[in-house]
Amino acid sequence: MSLVAEPGLVAEDERSASQPRRRGYAAYVGLKVLGAIGSLCFMLVVNFLLFRVLPGDPAKTLGRGRLTSQAQVDAFNKTYGLNEPLPQQFLTFLKNIAHGDLGISLQYRLPVSQLIMDRLWTTLLLVGTSTILATVIGVYLGIRGAWNRGGLFDRISTGASLTLYSMPEWWLGLLLIAGLGVGFGFVPGLFPTGLLHSQNVDPNSLHGVFDTVWHLVLPVTTLTLAYLADYSLIMRSSLLDELGEDYLQTARAKGLRDVQVRNHHAVRNALLPTTTIIALNIGFVVSGAITVETVFSIPGLGLLATDAIGVPDFWVLQGTFLVASAGVILANLAANLLYGWLDPRVRT
Amino acid sequence: MLGEGVDSLNPFLGFQAPSYEMWGLTYDYLVGYSMKDMSPEPDLATKWTTSPDGKTWTFTVRTGVKFSDGVPLTAKDVAYTYNRVLHGTVEGTNWISYLNGVKTVTAPNDTTVVMKLKQPVATLPLLPIPIVPEHIWKNVTEKQIKSYGAEPKGGKPVVGSGPFRLVSGTADGQTFKFEANPNYWGGAPHIDGVIFQFYKNDDSAVQALLKGEADFVEGITALEVKSLQGKPGIDAHNGNSPGFDEIAFNTGSVSAAKNGHSIGNPNPAVLDPKFRHALGYALNLPQLISKVYQGAGLPGTTIVPPNYTQYHWEPPADQKFTFDLAKAGQLLDAAGYKKGSDGFRTLPNGKPIGTLRLAARSDSPTSLHTMAYFKTWLGDLGIKSQVSTYSSSQLTDQIYKGNFDAFQWGWYVEPDPDSMLSYMTCGQRQGSSDSFYCNKEYDALYNAQHVETDHAKRVEDIKKMQEILYRDSPYLVTAYSSIGEAVASDRFACLVTQPNPGGIWLEQYGVYNYVHMKPASAGVKCDAAPGLTGAVKASASTDSSSSTGPFLIGVGVVVVLVLIGGGAVMMRRRASVGDRE
Repeated sequence: MSLVAEPGLVAEDERSASQPRRRGYAAYVGLKVLGAIGSLCFMLVVNFLLFRVLPGDPAKTLGRGRLTSQAQVDAFNKTYGLNEPLPQQFLTFLKNIAHGDLGISLQYRLPVSQLIMDRLWTTLLLVGTSTILATVIGVYLGIRGAWNRGGLFDRISTGASLTLYSMPEWWLGLLLIAGLGVGFGFVPGLFPTGLLHSQNVDPNSLHGVFDTVWHLVLPVTTLTLAYLADYSLIMRSSLLDELGEDYLQTARAKGLRDVQVRNHHAVRNALLPTTTIIALNIGFVVSGAITVETVFSIPGLGLLATDAIGVPDFWVLQGTFLVASAGVILANLAANLLYGWLDPRVRT
Repeated sequence: MLGEGVDSLNPFLGFQAPSYEMWGLTYDYLVGYSMKDMSPEPDLATKWTTSPDGKTWTFTVRTGVKFSDGVPLTAKDVAYTYNRVLHGTVEGTNWISYLNGVKTVTAPNDTTVVMKLKQPVATLPLLPIPIVPEHIWKNVTEKQIKSYGAEPKGGKPVVGSGPFRLVSGTADGQTFKFEANPNYWGGAPHIDGVIFQFYKNDDSAVQALLKGEADFVEGITALEVKSLQGKPGIDAHNGNSPGFDEIAFNTGSVSAAKNGHSIGNPNPAVLDPKFRHALGYALNLPQLISKVYQGAGLPGTTIVPPNYTQYHWEPPADQKFTFDLAKAGQLLDAAGYKKGSDGFRTLPNGKPIGTLRLAARSDSPTSLHTMAYFKTWLGDLGIKSQVSTYSSSQLTDQIYKGNFDAFQWGWYVEPDPDSMLSYMTCGQRQGSSDSFYCNKEYDALYNAQHVETDHAKRVEDIKKMQEILYRDSPYLVTAYSSIGEAVASDRFACLVTQPNPGGIWLEQYGVYNYVHMKPASAGVKCDAAPGLTGAVKASASTDSSSSTGPFLIGVGVVVVLVLIGGGAVMMRRRASVGDRE
């Protein structure tokens, strides 16, 4: 390994001499977990209040032309607990959450937890796969581009990922549908234009799994292309920052091959910002990808939340946002714990 | 934006149009609708009689009808269903308005249903309430029903007596799979099943049709219909829907909560029927139809669409609005809205009118464009106006607060216009009215027709009511909307429109097409009921992808595109062409 201590280690040595003993890892974990729980509680309150200021009255929106008398509107509100004063509704909300009950959807009149569970898997599959693909491809493009900065590969990959980044996702999706879903000229339509399954295939059979993969190709490609620049550009610029560093010079002087210098020294140090982005984005996986879910008619959490806004379906909105914020908070917690373990300096 | 699809498969809970389509396939109704003009027709009831005082209705229920689990359907199931609506809070929320005035419903024997009324009800015998099996639903308590899905579980289809059985699908889902009921009392359907897929995007739905992934698309735009016409193996049209779009005025907003106190701040000008009526001559409806509706739709007149031939009142030539700005100007002058020195019109008391606040719905291009044109025409008359855009739910809020002068929206009208007419009565100002119109003469006619047992007399009252509304103009009806539909005619044939001719293929009142459509083949013979015309003809299969699609032959895949509430079946909720864009 390198003879020169890396910057982090130098700081570590200097500070540990002059400062009192650092908190142990257990205390650090405890603090972070408490913080996460605090954020979650805060989110519960915000979630509840946030959606109450939305314009619209569910009984009036849903029952337009159907609930023609005030008595019918009142009956609807009573059935779904909307006639109670707000503080009472909030208490009911908290009590239900404690029992793992997210309430009954106003729009679909089914338990919210059932609706969310039905869609969580779909969203994880779509957004999760795209995030992983975008990460792997993006990081690779970033590394190759930065290492040969200004080269042909760099110019093409940077240009392409920037172009894709600036394209609206729905438009990219429609282009892919038109090109690869429907086909043009002599090119046949290779992939399905939307949805998650074919109609006559049992989704639980082996055939069904392939069928689902087949349906996911276009939406996942769309999202991957759209996310790509996130990772490739950050990876590229953080690697560029490292390129001038002395330790690389040293590594080269030791006679290491270029690939070794890149992979074992430069990339390792440049990965930190990318790791942050990945950790954050993983939290957002559960919040879905509204535009792509719309274009490809994929029933995910994003679509569930969008559909709920117009009503407004308070319980569904609260439920989906709870899941989404819990996702982000947990991913943050995981990232924090990981940092604390990787780099003791952050435990202060 | 709401209800992009099926909101509940439980007939006591759902509100949205697509849910009606699902119940229609699963269950039967006591009385059906004719294909010609949606007038009452035998369904489960083979015949019905009314007592001379109009207060007792006796229905004779068909024998030999079985639910899909083999249990016979009898008059008891009908009485059970109606009684749940009469006596249950949750069940009544949805349906009670159809049984208003009904005292008791009983089934003295297996083939007779007797309905006793407090007073005659003119809307009978039309009752769009699906008949559910008592032996299943008696186990669903009043407490459970508010979140009871009535969905297929563990591969077991939902029990009903309709022509199809729901084998998979859930309320918020996008795919609903039905298989044919071979024992259907009206004869087994010619297709093996129907699959509904709800697309969120009309481009994708059209592409699915072109590719053969779907056999029917509904709710597409007029431009898409045009692009599909002439394609081999596809039959596309814009069918007249029983709905209209309107520009509604704030004719005096009152509060629902505070016993009808005036609220909001309508401009004094729009409170005046003469002012509103004059604006009727400032609307260039043919231009609106050609530019905003892309030629699909008809210029509007009254709140009862011409689809309902027997109830529609068509204004005679001397009363009918024509695009005539000079005439509009004269009428405004005569009513005291004269032009001031600055070229803008003033109120009769000489004060400036100010700026009229026009509201459009951001989720509907039709709404936005209509109001943009309206603003221009008002400008030509010397009236300042400003268009604000709102989401549908925001606009609902604004309407009930009375903070508007005019807005654009639309309604679907049921085969019996009673409920639509009721929205313009004084009592509904604290309910479903959104123009807050109130006129004693109109109310008297409404109450009279509601209990009128002489049909001809009732029709006369209904026409008179439309004439009053046309004169007072709380609504300026801009267009009778249409629905874009396309079918893969190389795979399926024999679809007939309702009303016939000129209507729509899919979201009809009743299940005629689902039972009568046939797989397309060279010599297919359609057995359309006498008097119906224009059945979709089978075309030769030329698109190779459609015949190699991954679907069982004979299974129709119906792609229903529904955005924001969508089209309506047997219901009367707000919606508009914009909802399908």
